[in-house]
Amino acid sequence: MEQLIWASSTCDPATDIICKPEFVNELFETPVVFSLGGFEVNRAMLLMLLAAVIAVGLLFFAYRKPRVVPTKYGVAIEGLVDFVRDQIAVGVIGPDGIKYFPYLLSIFLFILIGNVFEVTPFVNFPITSRMAIPAFLAVLTYLIFVVVGFAKNGFHYFTGVVWPKSVPLALRPLVGLIEFVSTFLIRPLTLAVRLFANLVAGHVMLTLLLASGFIFIKEVGDIGFRSAIGLGWFAIGMAIFFFEIVVAFLQAYIFTLLSAVYIQTSVHPEH
Amino acid sequence: MEEIKGALALIGYGLAAIGPGIGIGIVAGNAVQAMARQPEAANMVRTTMFLGIAFTEALALIGFVLFFIA
Repeated sequence: MEQLIWASSTCDPATDIICKPEFVNELFETPVVFSLGGFEVNRAMLLMLLAAVIAVGLLFFAYRKPRVVPTKYGVAIEGLVDFVRDQIAVGVIGPDGIKYFPYLLSIFLFILIGNVFEVTPFVNFPITSRMAIPAFLAVLTYLIFVVVGFAKNGFHYFTGVVWPKSVPLALRPLVGLIEFVSTFLIRPLTLAVRLFANLVAGHVMLTLLLASGFIFIKEVGDIGFRSAIGLGWFAIGMAIFFFEIVVAFLQAYIFTLLSAVYIQTSVHPEH
Repeated sequence: MEEIKGALALIGYGLAAIGPGIGIGIVAGNAVQAMARQPEAANMVRTTMFLGIAFTEALALIGFVLFFIA
């Protein structure tokens, strides 16, 4: 938001068409907090660490002392864990999906907390809007489903994709090519970009609306009652704020669900 | 030329979003219909719906990436 306010104060409304920061990237650059030797530790890295600690802490405190009648907090966490296990791990992959449940639960909680940082006051920065994090998680899922596919089915996994037996012979090369591109190239790309794009869009939208509201109201001395437009922008910004909470949950769910679906297609191909 | 290039990329992204927008509408609409007709199959339909949306959305996401690259 500072960049936006700074951009609006340096641009000249008479000549510039749009007052914008020179690079949108500036919204996603976070200051370096400290450096360790050659490593520069910035705010996003610290938030990543915090997200991991929160995810571990949530589970640790919920399951530290199992009771017959759990506390309200325990019930809430159990509901979340049961949801991932029954709806995603076992529900999508099948009975042997329980093997992949720890992985699915970890990425679900990590992405969820990373997304919720977007709407957390004083943090206001979704760590999943830096491409490195969704890309890394997508690469993990990619490695898992490719390795599982080859381990369970041998080389038939690959031939099943590029030479599908259920398709008429004349169409097989074409369908095989499309399947190859979509399975091994498009899947990890879209998995990462979907999460990234949704969070970037949300972050930019919130920054623009809330910052423009702020800027209008700050200029109340110069432009008089017209600064009331700012209240409108601010109200829309707050509406989007609650919408973004839904997006945070939905995107974490979709990422985990698609990871499970991709693993499922490797465990039981041709289904 | 710089500014024209930026505007073109935006238009390209807009065009790339039309098809998936219509497609996701069809997928979600039919999924709602299926769930209303057979509520006991809702879980299976929901999973398949998200899978269908994921494949349809890929085109819009590729457009989004090209907007950043161009």
